[in-house]
Amino acid sequence: MPNVLRADGITVKFGGVTAVNNVSLSLGSGEILGLIGPNGAGKTTLFNAVTGFAPMHSGTITLLNKDITALPAFKRTRLGFGRTFQTERPFEELTVLENVLVAAFLTVGRRREAERLAMSVLEQVGLADRAHQPALDLNLARRRRLELAKALAVKPKVIFLDEIMAGLNPPALREMIAFVRSLSAQGLAVLMVEHIMEAIIELSDHVIVLASGEKIAEGTPQQVTSDERVIEAYLGTD
Amino acid sequence: MIKHLIGLGVLLAVGIAYPAIFPNNLTIAISVLLFAGWATSWDLLGGWNGQVSLGHASFVGLGAYFVAIGQSQFGLAPWWTMAMAAVFAAILGYFWGWLTFSLRGPYFSLSTIAVAEILRLIAINEEWLTGGATGVFLATLPEPFGIDLFSRTAQFYMALAFAAVVVATVIVISRAQFGYQLRAVREDEDSAMAAGIDPTATKLKAFMLSAALTSIGGGIYGVVLAFIEPHVIFALLLSVQIALTAIIGGRGTIWGPSVGALVLIGAGEMFRTTFAEANMLIYGILILIVVLFLPRGIVGELARRHIRRLYAKRAQS
Repeated sequence: MPNVLRADGITVKFGGVTAVNNVSLSLGSGEILGLIGPNGAGKTTLFNAVTGFAPMHSGTITLLNKDITALPAFKRTRLGFGRTFQTERPFEELTVLENVLVAAFLTVGRRREAERLAMSVLEQVGLADRAHQPALDLNLARRRRLELAKALAVKPKVIFLDEIMAGLNPPALREMIAFVRSLSAQGLAVLMVEHIMEAIIELSDHVIVLASGEKIAEGTPQQVTSDERVIEAYLGTD
Repeated sequence: MIKHLIGLGVLLAVGIAYPAIFPNNLTIAISVLLFAGWATSWDLLGGWNGQVSLGHASFVGLGAYFVAIGQSQFGLAPWWTMAMAAVFAAILGYFWGWLTFSLRGPYFSLSTIAVAEILRLIAINEEWLTGGATGVFLATLPEPFGIDLFSRTAQFYMALAFAAVVVATVIVISRAQFGYQLRAVREDEDSAMAAGIDPTATKLKAFMLSAALTSIGGGIYGVVLAFIEPHVIFALLLSVQIALTAIIGGRGTIWGPSVGALVLIGAGEMFRTTFAEANMLIYGILILIVVLFLPRGIVGELARRHIRRLYAKRAQS
């Protein structure tokens, strides 16, 4: 499988603390890579470093064989990154449609076409009937879907999903899992940080386990969930 | 957008007829129009883009000084010097933004106070150019097509044209990609970046456009005043008034700043003539009422209620 995204030797330091230490990953189109680990393991930090939202100490990132290590986050978006935020960050004063429109304008400059693209993405995530509601008024599950819509409207090649399953009730969770699978079926490369093991096991082609900023295990969901170091990292030793 | 442009057209028609109907109330109308234009320009940056400037008197002053000095020292007609002032204001906005837009929160606002102060000090000290603390006097003006630019009627139409152009600009931007970039950056810079928007570039563009438009109004103000003093034109009070006008009227709305100008400048004038000494008190109370009960400004609050009502109706049906 050809690589869409490669990250090599990513290290992130905050002052004297090494939050992520020499972690590498790669991702092909249509592939789903799960990133798991206990709280404080550095998952979101790694995620932010790769997407350009946190400064890296060392490492290189390539997207479709193009070195993007030095590019700011918005330029990575323009080249094919789409991301959600762990705590949803809608443009609260804008309507749902306008939120997605902001992202849709990236690939289509004309208002009418941008609106059409935004509307089709909203239909995809099931928010079309809410299009003209202020984003501020959405409930959690819908805000999540709005985050997704915004990430999809930039027409990404790689999509980064930061705990989009957290806090969803079982039916909503099932829906979200099916939705993420449909994204990979469309050829999108998916990198997801997730705490919900059910989603990770069901969706991931490949899982990376982080603990204290280090990659401690890697493999299929079955391999990593039976790995002793992983169990230890999650449950601790006595 | 069409709706707003038609509204603007109707207002413009009313404005054109105004001097014939109220020939004795032109000075106050000029003030209202200039403030409407300035506050709307300010709002492009302060409301739509969320970068509150407390230094817009800088650009008013630049426009006024360019017109006055251009005419009195170099014999340049106001329209040329206004264009020059607009370019210069945009350049100043660019450099100031480049220096300060990495500051988040109130620091940008605070730094803008310094711009007007620096310009005021330059105006006072560079006497050879600006006439120093005494200021510049505008004694002659060209007469294009035989129009006397010193007449209040001509000045009224200039101010009307200025306000109309600025409001039209905002109407167009509000629907365009740039308008959404402005709002996205205001709401959340990280989220804007995730949508491929460069926050700094967006803020710089907004600042440059806002500064340029404001300075054109400043040029007209120079003609209206015909006498420019540094401590009046670069005053913090003027900067604050411009910001307040937009905030009271409704930040980030098309008509808010104009409504603010009508209420604050119009009411301010009325109070000054009716209540004499007590006028500042009443002015203050008026501001307090708006801030307490209409935190989004007059138009902002009305628009929001309208949207909610519309949505509630749609949800019911």
